[in-house]
Amino acid sequence: MSKDKKKKSFSRRKFLVRSAVGVGVLFGAGYLSKPLWQRALAGLANTLEPPYSGTGITPPLWFEVRADNQIILYSPKVEMGQGTFTGLAQIAADELEVTTDQIKVVHAPSDSGNVDALSTGGSLSIATLWTPLRELAATMREMLKLEGAKLLATTPDKVEVANASISSNGKSLTYGEIAAQVSGWEIPDTPELKPPTERKEVGKGVPRVDLREKVLGAPIFGMDATMPDMLYGAVVRPDRIGATFKGADVSKAENMPGVVKIVQEPDFVGVIAQSRMEAENAKNAIQAEWETDRNWTSAEIKEMIKVGEGSPTTIQKKGRASRILNNEEDVISAEFESPIGAHAQLEPNGSVASVEGNQATLMISTQVVKITREEVAKRLGFKPEQVNIIPTYLGGGFGRRLHTPNAVQAAVLSKAVGKPVKCFFNRKEEFQNDTFRPPTHHIMKAKLTEAGKIKAIEHNLSSGDVMFGSPMFPAVAQSLLGADVGAWRGGMIQYGAIPNYKAVSWRVKLPFATSWWRSLGLLANTFAIETFIDELALKAGKDPVQFRLEHIQDDERGFRLKEVIKAASEKAGYKDEVVNGRAMGFACSTDANTPCAQVVEVSMENDRIKVHKVTCVIDPGMAVNPDQVRAQCEGAIIMGLSAAMYEKMEVVDGKLAPTIYGPYQMALMRDTPKDIDVVILENAEDPGPVGEPPLGPIGAAIANAAFRLTGERLRKMPFEG
Amino acid sequence: MMKISFTINKKPTTVEVDGNTPLLWVVRDVLDLKGTKFGCGKAACGACTLHVDGEAIRSCSYAVKFVEGKEVTTIEGLGNADNLHPVQQAWIEEIVPQCGYCQIGFMMATAAMLEKIPQPTDEDIDNNIVNICRCGTHYRMRKAIHRAAEIKNQSPQNQTS
Amino acid sequence: MRSKQKVLLLTAGLIGSMILLFGYASPPNTPTLPAEEESLQTGLEAFDKMMAVLTHKRCVNCHPSGDRPRQGEDSHLHNFGVERGPDNHGVAALRCESCHQAENNNFSGVPGAPEWSLAPLKMAWEGLSRIEIARSMLNPANNGGRNLEETVKHLTEHELVLWAWNPGVDSEGNPREKPPVPKDEYIKAVKEWAAAGAPIPEE
Repeated sequence: MSKDKKKKSFSRRKFLVRSAVGVGVLFGAGYLSKPLWQRALAGLANTLEPPYSGTGITPPLWFEVRADNQIILYSPKVEMGQGTFTGLAQIAADELEVTTDQIKVVHAPSDSGNVDALSTGGSLSIATLWTPLRELAATMREMLKLEGAKLLATTPDKVEVANASISSNGKSLTYGEIAAQVSGWEIPDTPELKPPTERKEVGKGVPRVDLREKVLGAPIFGMDATMPDMLYGAVVRPDRIGATFKGADVSKAENMPGVVKIVQEPDFVGVIAQSRMEAENAKNAIQAEWETDRNWTSAEIKEMIKVGEGSPTTIQKKGRASRILNNEEDVISAEFESPIGAHAQLEPNGSVASVEGNQATLMISTQVVKITREEVAKRLGFKPEQVNIIPTYLGGGFGRRLHTPNAVQAAVLSKAVGKPVKCFFNRKEEFQNDTFRPPTHHIMKAKLTEAGKIKAIEHNLSSGDVMFGSPMFPAVAQSLLGADVGAWRGGMIQYGAIPNYKAVSWRVKLPFATSWWRSLGLLANTFAIETFIDELALKAGKDPVQFRLEHIQDDERGFRLKEVIKAASEKAGYKDEVVNGRAMGFACSTDANTPCAQVVEVSMENDRIKVHKVTCVIDPGMAVNPDQVRAQCEGAIIMGLSAAMYEKMEVVDGKLAPTIYGPYQMALMRDTPKDIDVVILENAEDPGPVGEPPLGPIGAAIANAAFRLTGERLRKMPFEG
Repeated sequence: MMKISFTINKKPTTVEVDGNTPLLWVVRDVLDLKGTKFGCGKAACGACTLHVDGEAIRSCSYAVKFVEGKEVTTIEGLGNADNLHPVQQAWIEEIVPQCGYCQIGFMMATAAMLEKIPQPTDEDIDNNIVNICRCGTHYRMRKAIHRAAEIKNQSPQNQTS
Repeated sequence: MRSKQKVLLLTAGLIGSMILLFGYASPPNTPTLPAEEESLQTGLEAFDKMMAVLTHKRCVNCHPSGDRPRQGEDSHLHNFGVERGPDNHGVAALRCESCHQAENNNFSGVPGAPEWSLAPLKMAWEGLSRIEIARSMLNPANNGGRNLEETVKHLTEHELVLWAWNPGVDSEGNPREKPPVPKDEYIKAVKEWAAAGAPIPEE
């Protein structure tokens, strides 16, 4: 391939610069005063949208134009229902001057050379790829024009682009015909991007690109993957928290039907058999020895998650909130709690691994292609390039698959038997080995002025880890940041006009894995803060919506928050009174620059809360696909409602429980609102996060509505647990 | 090991497996029909729902030996790209799926319900459709179920002359 | 059923008297009135054994007084809002048979037996005392028109009843609790109870 380094480096340089900024900030912070910089970093992390970074820095790594004129888009981001594939197709379509349905999005295998540096998550796929993907697609279009012009014996400025074809002087070639004749692409300077007025696909509610496959039952998930001559594996996993593998007696399993091989490693034992059931049956016959130093209980875990235990970091500070609240009279305070939450995504974790000679290939539902590749390579003693990770559609992500070490075990089994091995968790293992949403404890304190405004407010949050312990962040981030970015997400006070406020995050490391659960701390933090704000409003004798508006600062963030609050109140016809046995509750949050306000309408039926309607106003900046933005809001609302009202894990006799749907109570059809009304505001230029922000307000909104019906404040999630 | 003969999506078939193997694994791994999903293996989530003689059955908790002589219908037999079932049509119209993993089970349960309850009320839907969806597509699913009933009731074979 | 007991005693008394009156040559150890009392005692003991089983959650969970089955050792309402439906077999897309087959399923932990379904409302036992349950069982208006012999046959031979002693394992693989009386003893007790005239004690 002929390379013109100077021309090509334009796009490459942009990507490298963006990545460097992120890294530089972290290192810079290390040199300066810790507490001050921890707060600054916390503030930065609260507003910063990280740049996109990955290995795919040239258009040919993203686009393949086939002879039949279909364009394949290799996505380094995975599709887990959040609609990313569709958004990326629309974004690329506009610059390529085609319609969305001419683009087929596929997961980029790591071998393709297009690998995301970090993960799919954080509601960041569209936000971070918005500009880079447009640049890549626009450049691809120019490349097609360049080559097309050559083939048509003219110059690029004299050709027309339409219908995925390049034409000049009555002669025309399709993109496909052009691409078929190119042996080496010349990569020009990145052209100007199309202005908003020329967008045809972006901004439309285009039907999901994966809709038909999902309705026809196509075998697209990790669980559906097969390889020729494949066998089935099962790994013995511990029941108890903190269990260390000490060895196993496999004598009863060895001769069971269908067993091909038993694999004993220092850290696990697994069985390979001809079918899944035979593997499971043999696994159950293995007597593994686990060492645990104690049998944890829920009560012990609860004792650990208490404001005042663990190590505190001040993440937000303005004025003298602590001094006021510790010394003055008439301080109002309230405590809140949230439980351990399971991901409970429908597709269990697992993979199909094939290790042959010095190559490994894995098909896997994962949110972290790069980390998985590295972990498998390390275990096998390979270089990362010797491992090809082929991502599949995920049957639910939600942060559960931001670490998928099951790939390592599948690879070890495959290597041991010399054939591909399919190895998946069963549901009990999935529940017990989850990386849970950590339990939290909150203490809110505030003082009102004579005029009924907030003089000072403080939020103390105790939580298990979210970010710390995740392979995505280096250990150095822990000491630099002090507080866990995931745990305190949504935990800062968003009402910037309050003269004194403070947020303190208390970090507790629990004996079982806690990590990323869709929106991280946002649901619990917003529950605590927004319920408390509602209490303060009533104490001040003010309408809860007005009360909020009065405390919001005059800047861009403030403006956008005020707009969603006003719109939600208006759209829902928010009333602070009970009408015909129904009451409304209001709550709002700002998550990663995306404000969202919700009004919930509930009644009580047989002493149980029934949610009838949710009005949701969200401002994602700009909506690439309004229908999918609505879908994400609807889904987040139902997921948040489920967690706030029904879900909780306990620790019983050292084991996490329950381990089955049903006992792990979740919202069923009957529990979901019949009416969800989503309004999208677009008060910024570029698309921002959407997948997680709508999870914020729902818990507090339900609780605030229920209060008006029962007179009792709900202070613990789950409300019906 | 035993031989079990049944029809799958109108095609006669015979398998030779341990009779206690859950029908789910026979469908997925022996017959290579991957539409029907594994979610829990405990008949709790409904992702494995298919039809046996027209009834909604959770195949993870159904020993294959019981299917001798019966008719099994999976999503692949309910409809296909050229001939969508009304439920599938409605699911497409309402753009229901997000991750999509649970959707097949919901569609099979819905299809079974519509055979017996052509005009389901919201309460019928609440009582009959109890599968688990983590992505929270229930709001759209309810609309799609009503729409599917509409489409089904409008179709030529449902029209009385 | 007090009157029935009285009738039984009276009948026994009459027969006994007639035997004496007509000089029926009774062998030295042929039962007379005191023996009827002993038979009654046996019957009541058998009743206790039988009812210890029939009031066990393994049975009562599927003899609810409402439209929802119960499940588990703690008899909580059956998960997922499962309902009786118009024919005691569930609703259109959520039949009992959607999950419960003719045998226990050890992989899923779902129990099974032939005709798995709810007992009709007339046979509701939830919230009833042993006495009330027994009376209901013997009442043809409640028990599907069965006479005593048919009732005994149902209680001792129906596979769904006998499932109680083969309740399988739960979703975690743990064996379910069996009734407090072994199956053979239970069957013997039912038959003894019936042979003693199906006596039911006072409250």
